[in-house]
Amino acid sequence: MTWTDRVAKRLAAWCGLAAALAGCGGGEHAATGPDSTAAGVRLVATVPVPANYGQHDEFLRAGLAFLCSWNTGLQIYDVGDGRAGGSPQNPRFISRVVTAGGEVHNAWWYWAPDGQKRYVFVGQEGPGAIGSSSSGDIHVVDVSNLSAPVEVASYHMAGAGTHNFWVDEANQVLYAAYYNGGVVALDISGTLSGDLSSRLISQIQPGGAGDTYVWGVMLSNGSLYASDMLSGFWQLALVNDTLRVLGGGNNVPERYGSDLWVANGYAYSGTWGTRAAVLGNAVKIWALDATGAPVLHDSIVTAGFTTVSDVRVSADNRLLVFSGEYGPSAGIYFYSLVADPGHPAFLAYYPVVTNNQNGIHTVTISDIGGRRYVFAAEDPPTPAMLVLDVTAISP
Amino acid sequence: MAPAALHPARCGRLAALVLLAGALAPVSLGAQVSLGAQITPVLTRADPVPGGSSLTELRFTSPLLMGTADFFGDRLQLHVTLDGEGWTMPHGMLATGDFGEGWEDRRHPHTWAHELVASVIDAVPLPGGIHWSLTAGKGFAPYGTDDPMNRPALVFPVNHHWSQILERALAILALRQGPVTLEGAIFNGDEPERWDQWPNWSRFGDSWSARALVHPSAAVEVQASYAQVKSPENRLGAGPEHDKVSVSARVDQRLGSGRIYGLAEWAYNSEIHGFFKYYSGLAEAQWSWAADRVYVRLERTDRPEEERVFGNPFRSNRPHLENSNIGITRWSVATVGYGHGLTPQRLPVHVEGIAEVEYARVASLTGLFDPASFYGRNDLWMISVALRITAGATMPRMMGRYGLVADGGHATMAGMHDMD
Repeated sequence: MTWTDRVAKRLAAWCGLAAALAGCGGGEHAATGPDSTAAGVRLVATVPVPANYGQHDEFLRAGLAFLCSWNTGLQIYDVGDGRAGGSPQNPRFISRVVTAGGEVHNAWWYWAPDGQKRYVFVGQEGPGAIGSSSSGDIHVVDVSNLSAPVEVASYHMAGAGTHNFWVDEANQVLYAAYYNGGVVALDISGTLSGDLSSRLISQIQPGGAGDTYVWGVMLSNGSLYASDMLSGFWQLALVNDTLRVLGGGNNVPERYGSDLWVANGYAYSGTWGTRAAVLGNAVKIWALDATGAPVLHDSIVTAGFTTVSDVRVSADNRLLVFSGEYGPSAGIYFYSLVADPGHPAFLAYYPVVTNNQNGIHTVTISDIGGRRYVFAAEDPPTPAMLVLDVTAISP
Repeated sequence: MAPAALHPARCGRLAALVLLAGALAPVSLGAQVSLGAQITPVLTRADPVPGGSSLTELRFTSPLLMGTADFFGDRLQLHVTLDGEGWTMPHGMLATGDFGEGWEDRRHPHTWAHELVASVIDAVPLPGGIHWSLTAGKGFAPYGTDDPMNRPALVFPVNHHWSQILERALAILALRQGPVTLEGAIFNGDEPERWDQWPNWSRFGDSWSARALVHPSAAVEVQASYAQVKSPENRLGAGPEHDKVSVSARVDQRLGSGRIYGLAEWAYNSEIHGFFKYYSGLAEAQWSWAADRVYVRLERTDRPEEERVFGNPFRSNRPHLENSNIGITRWSVATVGYGHGLTPQRLPVHVEGIAEVEYARVASLTGLFDPASFYGRNDLWMISVALRITAGATMPRMMGRYGLVADGGHATMAGMHDMD
């Protein structure tokens, strides 16, 4: 064993101890690791993506998959819509558009209350010093003709860049996590064209300037939940066109926050990277009280990777899926929420590991043709969208 | 997959042919050939390393086989440097603060074909006292200062990847009139990911550099250079461009019974059109006399911080997934060292004992990265003792200098004590 190996082992042991200690006060329970079974999870398709940094996210709706493929752009596939003869087992390419600047990170196909399905909002993840600075705009792509998508509008914030979205379609408001810019609410009603800066409704930095770096947002029961990498898990709301803090915050001091999902009266938030030697290998489980305020209820801590990069719950609120990234146990983890959504029960682990490090960056659950699928973004050096049939393990 | 023409085995055979040609050429062409070899066992203690503990390692660094051959009255030159670090130090060498090619706080092993270049010089005379050379092969782009292997200190400075561009497939045109030399080059932007990797030849020409050298006297060199390097950290070309600037002045001359060397440099690296800016200033000096030399190096350099890979705090993830980092740190480093020749110069094998101490202070400029948390404190020490063993012909040239400037602007190799 080399000195490098020894120090690495020492560090890993130290990190594990630190993680365990950090969990003592948080009600964490250990999860299963890579020895767990992937039985019942079946890979049915792989869509390779050019290694132009590769695949980052995918938005699924009505049998269409919008692949966010970085500098390759936004790619639209038929995975069950049928217009191009596609299915989950045989995704068929429809079209592609490279929005200004590329770096296509995330998307949302917006269905307006008047029935129009004209716009896809695209998040550009530009360069940033995580925790301090960020860049990248919101781009609006007109998909009236799905075979010829075209960018028609954009929103730019000086000094900050966008990350994940949630759209309140009924009220025509786009909520965007904006890293050091906090959270932004945009009016997306009517026709969108050109510079959307006049569409800004409100902006908030929940942790305050210098302690805000928001990864994602999700609207649920009138509250807008935000996962801030620095300052924890927040409950916000848009009140009289002003974003306000209702609860939460400063509640994940030992780790950096990442993605989130809200379901069943609970919220599930991931963690990221390494904070003071504590790995971002936890999914925090928050009980939402009668006002919707989050209270830490439990945590799932999984050994063998560094980041929980995405968290999703199925439309029937029965299946929790999260992705693990950077480590020998990277891949996709499945939990049941049926018996007790406050204490998810492990179902399966699907390993996706390259170079003993990279894994899955994002996961998206979609029910197509009576079966349940998980669409996953595999990291470089072999970037791809994976399609997994998980019907057999779905509770 | 590498193109068939660039398969490693084929490249290896090509290298062997070049070496064989170099060995046989003197017989047939009356060429002048110089061959040399070097290896430096180094015992280094770093306190702290990532995680807060200390670490002591023995490494056999810079195992080099070097050859030059001059043909047709110096009108054709071949330079070959083979580097065995991939075998002798595959896990790199402790070098707190150093970074690059996916290594953190360690110096990476260089590729085995460190230099493999041919230069044509003044093959066709030009009017007006203008001299020219054309160089092609794998080696250093004309940018920045001399490679740290040629300089006094054992441990590389933090700014190695801001101040040198090496191990690229390149073509260089150089012109000289009087004291002024201009060099321009095109090359591939990708840096090596492994010691046994060849440049991505499909990217040849996607990057360029230019350097102006002024030699007001035989002892003094002033240089200014600029480079645009496309996607150095993503081999397939998906990464951002680096715009680089370097200026420096170097003096190297006899002083009494000894020799004095000094270098001052300033470098700037801009990524993504200035979104990330990194600065470096460095000054170093050496005084050598008889069999002894003392040296000092002062440096302040900004470094990007990247998330370390799981289970190995000395490596960062490659290839990148996006264009962000977790911060920028500023390293203020002082290095002092002493070298003493242990063998008489008349022997074919020369051994020099070297002792070196380095103190670094690191501060966070932006981002999440907290040095005090990562290293346990902000003050870092390194102590190294080494034996530099050289054999064969003395170093005939500056590493990384080719064609018109292969003599290094009349300077000696500062790190090769008493070998001029």
